[in-house]
Amino acid sequence: MIPVMKILRLWQAHYWHLALGALLALAALAAGIALMQNAGLYTATAVLGGVLLVPVALQMAGVARVVLRYLERLVSHDAMFRALGRVRVWFFTGLANSAAGGLGLRRAGDALARLVNDVEALDGLYLRIIVPGLAALMLLPVLLVVLSRENGWALLVIFPFAVIALVLPWQAAALAGDNAKRVSLAMAGLRNAALDTLSGLREVKIFAAEGRMLALVQARESALLAAQRELAQRVSRLNIIGFITVQAGILLVLLLGFMSGPVASAVALFVAVAAFEAVSAMPRAGVLLGQSRVAAARVVEAAEAGPTVPDPAAPPPPLTGYAVSFEHVGFRYAHDLPFVFENLSLQLPAGSRTAILGPSGAGKSTIAGLLLKLAAPQSGKIKLGTVDIAALPAEAVRSKIAYLSQTTHLFADTIRNNLLLGDPSADEARLWAALESAQLAGVVRALPNGLDEWLGEGGNTLSGGQGRRLALARTLLSQAPILLLDEPCAGLDAATEAAFFETLNHAVAGRTLVLIAHRLTGVEKLDRIWRLAGGSLVAAAG
Amino acid sequence: MSLETKAWVAAEQKLGRKAARLPVVWGLAQISAGIGQIYCAAHLLALVLLPALRSSTAIFLYVAGFSIFVLLRALCLDQTESRSFELGAAARRRLRSDMFSRLLAVGPNGLHGRHSAELAAVAVDRVEAMEGFHARWIPATSLAVLGPGLIGIVALVVDWRSGLILLVAGLLVPVAMAVAGIGAGVAARRQFVAMTRLQVRFLDRIRGISTIVLAGRTADEAAALGRAADELRSRTMRVLRVAFLSSTALDLAAAAALVLVVIRFAPHLESNLILAQKALFLLLLVPEFFAPLRAFAAVYQDRMAAEAVGEDLATLPAMPAPIAPVEIRNIAAHGVTLAFEDVSFGWGSARGPVLEHLSFRVPAGETMLLTGTSGAGKSTIIDLILGFITPESGKVTFNGIELTTVIPAARERMIAWIGQKPMIFGGTIGENIRFARPEATDEALAQAVKLARLSDVIAELPRGLDTPIGEAGFGLSGGQAQRIAIARAFLKDAPLLLLDEPTAHLDPAIERDVLESLKRLAIGRTVVLASHAALALEFAHDTGARRLDLDAIRHAKFRGVA
Repeated sequence: MIPVMKILRLWQAHYWHLALGALLALAALAAGIALMQNAGLYTATAVLGGVLLVPVALQMAGVARVVLRYLERLVSHDAMFRALGRVRVWFFTGLANSAAGGLGLRRAGDALARLVNDVEALDGLYLRIIVPGLAALMLLPVLLVVLSRENGWALLVIFPFAVIALVLPWQAAALAGDNAKRVSLAMAGLRNAALDTLSGLREVKIFAAEGRMLALVQARESALLAAQRELAQRVSRLNIIGFITVQAGILLVLLLGFMSGPVASAVALFVAVAAFEAVSAMPRAGVLLGQSRVAAARVVEAAEAGPTVPDPAAPPPPLTGYAVSFEHVGFRYAHDLPFVFENLSLQLPAGSRTAILGPSGAGKSTIAGLLLKLAAPQSGKIKLGTVDIAALPAEAVRSKIAYLSQTTHLFADTIRNNLLLGDPSADEARLWAALESAQLAGVVRALPNGLDEWLGEGGNTLSGGQGRRLALARTLLSQAPILLLDEPCAGLDAATEAAFFETLNHAVAGRTLVLIAHRLTGVEKLDRIWRLAGGSLVAAAG
Repeated sequence: MSLETKAWVAAEQKLGRKAARLPVVWGLAQISAGIGQIYCAAHLLALVLLPALRSSTAIFLYVAGFSIFVLLRALCLDQTESRSFELGAAARRRLRSDMFSRLLAVGPNGLHGRHSAELAAVAVDRVEAMEGFHARWIPATSLAVLGPGLIGIVALVVDWRSGLILLVAGLLVPVAMAVAGIGAGVAARRQFVAMTRLQVRFLDRIRGISTIVLAGRTADEAAALGRAADELRSRTMRVLRVAFLSSTALDLAAAAALVLVVIRFAPHLESNLILAQKALFLLLLVPEFFAPLRAFAAVYQDRMAAEAVGEDLATLPAMPAPIAPVEIRNIAAHGVTLAFEDVSFGWGSARGPVLEHLSFRVPAGETMLLTGTSGAGKSTIIDLILGFITPESGKVTFNGIELTTVIPAARERMIAWIGQKPMIFGGTIGENIRFARPEATDEALAQAVKLARLSDVIAELPRGLDTPIGEAGFGLSGGQAQRIAIARAFLKDAPLLLLDEPTAHLDPAIERDVLESLKRLAIGRTVVLASHAALALEFAHDTGARRLDLDAIRHAKFRGVA
């Protein structure tokens, strides 16, 4: 329950809105009950030949019901929108500050998308769990009062009410919580099979494995459906138990009527019918609660993981220069994993142009990660000027480095806003200058909306090469003295790659350039070329 | 919504309606049992109100009836729920199977540049989102008409005035929505669209979070996200203020119907058992009458979700036409002579032609080296031979038989292919090699491992051939992954071998080693090697290959390298 409580605490700023929405929901429910109560009262009185007034209370309850429901919808939806905006901002900030910030070094889009699904699962918490739950709680005293007027024994109806409104939802939450793990495992299995099939479509066709892969996907899907079916069946059983319990309660109210006053009995029946109808969906809310709890646990864990490299407590010493040096650096990702390098030394003088080459998996990107303080070396030092970067806050180091990699993201936003990420203070002239340097100005000028052209999701208004150039323009816009490029053209064809590096030769005058690549295209202008193999750097022919 | 999407949703709806008949019948049975149950409850309540007319037999009968109807209803509810689940499950199975069958049939070039991860997400998550449409929305649409219709008719029979009140109130719901100029479920639609927009922005920012963090813009982006959520809220609420009126129409109709039924009966009820029974029955029926309408409104978002899914699924490539049986030919399985005869191909008019009137011939057992800069058409030639694309004009032939007349299974048997980066599937290293030929014996597997020089690598692994690899070949170096591809080719033992830049991603030291293995693999096969690496020339030299330089000559001209 703790993670869910954390989410609820986030809503603090909106408690008034949320409370008002809940109150209106309760009032609307009360009006609904009153409507049925008055309907029962008037009918029973009429049957008994009582004096009939114009049914003002009945009509008022009807009007109140309609108006309050409308207000409830407005206010509670407004409150929900506020709350879910708050949760998103909190999650984003938390994730940015935590280890997940380093996810950029791997392709982790899928893991992130799943976390976003979890955040979305929390949207129903208020409207579909808390508000109905509060309503059920409020109905309890109302039922107590109305039923005790009928007959003391009628209080027995509390039991079926408690079963449907509390016991069954609780059980449903437990079932759903257990099931959620099984479903997410089965879902991951299906996802992997789908990804394997589609990423390996070439191999699948060439090795005539279409039937095999289809069978694999279907088997994984069946496992998923089986897990979901299990929950559906169990919840259905709970619903049936709930339904029968409720109807037993209604029958009890009816039968007790033979031992009590007729009018009070009719009223009790109508109220019981309305009350039970209002809580009949509670087991479903229980299922949602169970699922939300699991989602909340994952979301809170990701958002509160904290940075892998905590910032130093002491005030940072002043920076003396921007030369970078790795001094006898040893690093491994975990204690039970082999060292990526045990004693790595590397000098990157200010203004130099260096390439670090090596096959994939040699640890090239680890060098970038260490420099960006996404991870900290276990031994040795990394210095910026004469200062050990361990003594500097991550923000201070990163502001001196403009980083561009194949995972550098283009946002679904305008070209202008994508560029401004590099330097929010840049004016129009500087934006164009950066585009000019990245040789993209012509393309942007030809777009109907120029800088304000909207990029599709993942930037797919532009071709792959143009996208990389836009990312480069953004990187150039930043005034950081060090440019760190990690396989900026991976996934692009060789001609595009060569053109990109030609551009780079002219675009970064005066800054330190570090290029990480598995091989060179031959057009790069470089001062030094290092080859990383077996955990150490060897000079390669320039 | 595009036309394609509209047609797709309509087709799904048609399929869904057909499949949903049984659950709808169970739903109607549930409503009928509900009417019976309310009938018994009303008669019991009438007896409570008029003690003079009580008899224990009557009480017993109505209690028994009430109980039986409750149990029947429980049965119907159970059936409706399980059958609805199966509806959703069957629909998802059908959609996924259809999607994969199509993508598997069209092959890698049919994806229209869509990323495989994106398509996998469509196959998993988008299809999953279709559950509600088939399991809930389609049955609910039928029941929203049939349910109130059935109850309305019963009410008409019992008391025509009350029946009329109910039916008019029921009909007013959609009319009120239409008059307000909103249309059914517009609230749900607006809310759905608004939420989707926020979702997309949020997902986009989360996917790019490291870019934001490393640019030092976390605080700004968080603030912008908050502003976007807030702006969205106020904009959406402005729409919802009007749109919620449609739900209010439903509330109003329900409340008005109840009040009107009370007023219609109240003056005539005094000590009239028959009329009291009728009045109570009809009053208790009012909530039941509106229940299917409420259920319908509650699942309207499932319909919205289907439209979003349709945008993705409607644009998937169509199944390619099967090859007519009369045209099917046999080709000898050993020794393939490959020839291009006047082949032209282009990737659409915008990008211009890639190959123009290309002709060449590679006799069985010989090797051809394809060179040329990126974009010259090396991969296009390979894809033409693989049958992933077909020439615009001219023909590709195997032993003189045109490739387009060969059934895919026969073509696949003849070709082995090694590309830049082999796909490593989730599973063990043994399974990955066996991917080429699942029925291969252990001896054949061991032989392939030996020939691909994987023996030492496997000996070092903790569980040998049973060591799990996967998730893009985690734990394997580029060279080791390429050896798995070579082992696959050995195991498949096909007469035609296509090598598409097989060493492009390797360290020079490893490159030479891998080429040695490839040389061994090439013996006795027809080979096409596309490469621009210097080492490839050496390879071609050693195997006595001919060379086709796509840069120097757009048209086929042969030059011996040797």
